[in-house]
Amino acid sequence: MAYAAAEVTGAPSVGGKAVDFDVALTAAAKLLRRSQRPLFHGLGSDVQGLRALFRLAEHCNAVVDHMHSQALNSSLRVLQSRGWHTTTLGEVQNRADLVVMLGVDLDRGFPRFLERHVAGKHALQQARRAHRRLVHLGPKANTPTCPADLPMDVLPTPIDRLAESIRTLQGLLQGIPLPSVSDALQALAARIAAAEYPVFVWAPGQLPTATADLVIGAACELVAQINRTRRAAGLALGGDDGAQSALAVSAWLTGFGTGVGFSRGALMPRGELGGSTTALAEGGIDLVLHLGSFSQARPPASDKPSIVLAPPGLAPSEAPDVYLPIGIPGIDHPGQLIRTDGVVALPLRALRAPHHPSATEVLQRLQSALERKP
Amino acid sequence: MTTRRLTELRGGRIYDPTHGVDGESRSLFIDDSGHIAAAPRTPAEITQTLDVDGCVVMAGGVDIHTHIGGGKVNLARMMLPEEHLASLVGRDRHPWPGSGVATPSTLTAGYRYAEMGYTACFEPAMLPANAREAHMELADTPIVDKGAYALLGNDDFLLRRLAAGAPDSEIADYIAWTLHASQAMAIKVVNPGGINAFKFNQRKLDLDEENTAYGITPRQILLSLARNLNHLGVTHPLHIHGCNLGVPGNVNTTLATIAGLEGLPAHLTHVQFHSYGVEGDRKFSSGALAIAEAVNRSPNISVDVGQIMFGQTVTESGDSMRQHAGSAFASPRKSVLMDIECDAGCGVVPFHYRDRNFVNALQWIIGLELFLSVGDPWRIFLTTDHPNGAPFTSYPHLIRLLMDRSFRRDMLATLMPEAVAASNLASLDREYSLYEIAILTRAGPARSLGLANLGHLGVGARADIAVYREHADRERMFSSARYVFKSGQVVVQDGRVVAAPNGATHVTRAEYDAGITRSLDDYFARYMSVRRRNLMVSDAEIEDLGRSPLCIHSTRRQG
Repeated sequence: MAYAAAEVTGAPSVGGKAVDFDVALTAAAKLLRRSQRPLFHGLGSDVQGLRALFRLAEHCNAVVDHMHSQALNSSLRVLQSRGWHTTTLGEVQNRADLVVMLGVDLDRGFPRFLERHVAGKHALQQARRAHRRLVHLGPKANTPTCPADLPMDVLPTPIDRLAESIRTLQGLLQGIPLPSVSDALQALAARIAAAEYPVFVWAPGQLPTATADLVIGAACELVAQINRTRRAAGLALGGDDGAQSALAVSAWLTGFGTGVGFSRGALMPRGELGGSTTALAEGGIDLVLHLGSFSQARPPASDKPSIVLAPPGLAPSEAPDVYLPIGIPGIDHPGQLIRTDGVVALPLRALRAPHHPSATEVLQRLQSALERKP
Repeated sequence: MTTRRLTELRGGRIYDPTHGVDGESRSLFIDDSGHIAAAPRTPAEITQTLDVDGCVVMAGGVDIHTHIGGGKVNLARMMLPEEHLASLVGRDRHPWPGSGVATPSTLTAGYRYAEMGYTACFEPAMLPANAREAHMELADTPIVDKGAYALLGNDDFLLRRLAAGAPDSEIADYIAWTLHASQAMAIKVVNPGGINAFKFNQRKLDLDEENTAYGITPRQILLSLARNLNHLGVTHPLHIHGCNLGVPGNVNTTLATIAGLEGLPAHLTHVQFHSYGVEGDRKFSSGALAIAEAVNRSPNISVDVGQIMFGQTVTESGDSMRQHAGSAFASPRKSVLMDIECDAGCGVVPFHYRDRNFVNALQWIIGLELFLSVGDPWRIFLTTDHPNGAPFTSYPHLIRLLMDRSFRRDMLATLMPEAVAASNLASLDREYSLYEIAILTRAGPARSLGLANLGHLGVGARADIAVYREHADRERMFSSARYVFKSGQVVVQDGRVVAAPNGATHVTRAEYDAGITRSLDDYFARYMSVRRRNLMVSDAEIEDLGRSPLCIHSTRRQG
């Protein structure tokens, strides 16, 4: 996807008309200056870009929301209500002897996860690798393409029954007699009980909003229960479009993971109100600024004026009021992104001479323009 | 010769233990490069005068152990919206908004430290795998200088090599590489081998108990790290969070650890959590006296206390083994546990210390007994293991407890009588002097870390200075500085942050043989989820992306 975006053509525009960069920047600054309460949406950027965005958001009294905040919020609600026991990619690679995918569509969302972290030849604990099995507990249609030397069990389970299946496993592991449990689920419970380091994997962004909290909550409880006497861990896959970076940067700059607004020098935590849809429905939002560096820019549907910062190949099909082309972190300029497990931050290096300024530079120039007298 | 332009701080009482200055009334001069200067040759050199008549003047505070940045801190922030909602702080108070007390947002942490007169903070538990993120958080912590200690001793690389009988030279190279790769100031070990053992479902690991996966004991790990750090010439010795944290009876483990170091320099951190006996009906008692005596007769050992205070906080630790055990006492009932990247782990457990709880009351007592029983103030540092014992904002209260015997006795009288009866705190008359407080909070930590131009007020030192209005209530006095200077710039005036420059990042560099990078390249390619060079945090990332000067402390191998 990112490579389609590596196109370099694409001019800044105001009202759909190509203009010089400085003209577009001035127009964007003018919209921001006029706005009482802008929504800063998307947040698809690297750590530097996000730092600049939060700084500008504070200056502009903006509400801030990542494009995948629904998925982030499902995880955060579980974290904030009960916590979790998780692991990282490197631990899975070396320690896991059983990897249970909970409703994850690997081929669609994480096509290299198995190859890189589950099916590799080497592991510090070679016996764990030798005995490693993959289990797909989820819709049959999402069964992953499994490398030949990795045995896989498939337990077809509709997404809306997933939480129930996880609860059933929990009951079976506690030795609670449960009626009409499938042989396959009983066998899985036995495998989990025999495993030394089972890892349960979910992908918050792939779970329907209605069931995400239930599935993640059930998985976290199952892991915690096993850990009372044995070892197990969970792993959430996601972090697309810089979501993990946005979560981390927001948390350290403001103290809140997602759903933050600013008003006259104060933080306005929005908690459950978080998302863009709510912010727009509340009324009061009078401008949308969308920042996306990694996937097709999709500002939320609204009748408000809009500013879009995106690489040329990823600009929205319908021209916003102001469009400012930016470079792609890791292609046009260096940067840093925080990985899905929230631990490892990766350095990105520039691969070519930049054709467009970085999001950081554009956001900083907007801030300077706003800090100058109109 | 060009005329110097000096700022004169006039009329203050100076406490500079590094130079034996104990409350001497005299002027202090700051030159325009941001350093302490010698007295002017002519009055014309003085271009600005600040009258601080009767105020107490010390070097800026140096916190040797405070969890303010990195993955577990950020997880705690995300887990505890209630803590942040209850403590929002806006631009009416600080240059940028934020929130949190136990887990403050990064900017808020920097401002609050500065308000108390602290100008340098060291994050004691940076996982090499998480180093890049930890430094990004520290880069967004304004005003204070910062640095971090890299965690070793639970990483599979080290345990494998120790199990294979690797020579000291290789372990020393690996330590030196880790310092460089993670841009660390020192090396910390947490529950040596125990975090790794927990991944294999071991639930405790005593000093001489083998980690089942590698057949290595905590004693072997401690000795290897302490010996090789010494050999590398790293100033701050091995920073040890020992075995059996929080376990009743761990006083014996701690005593055995001190003896087992065989005279090698070492720092035992948050030693309060490691000073528990099993006397009495409740099988929980103070081991403070025994620990203090051992420290007093072991000049190779320094400690920080990790004092607890009553109230809500959150415990954040790399010690996943002990944090899992502690999660049964989580309040509110939630906790995070992580196994991390063949490096270590972490656990985040919110906790409420209660003065009506026997164990908590005794923990408070044990911390103070340690402070009052360790004789040499240069080998004991003032910490609450922020936020594990209490948020760092409770330092002024702690200082008052140390300086004011009658206040301490009044506080003791409010605790549950069973705990008071189980201790001899009431009989300890010692009161710390301002001079000694200056040692505990700046001169001592700076010396231990090898920060040659911080922690004192000698000519040539960086002009990081705290000026406090004299007040009989030491808590009030140390809560809010009259002036704080950072590199000569006024950053706090009358307790308000007036400027927020970025402090430097301190790192230690030791030489290593390129051979270690080849074995690590191979190890990372085989087993790790990233390449070795992608794990390494570059100087440019610290300086440019972090907008922070890099202050490199070089070392030379001994012998």
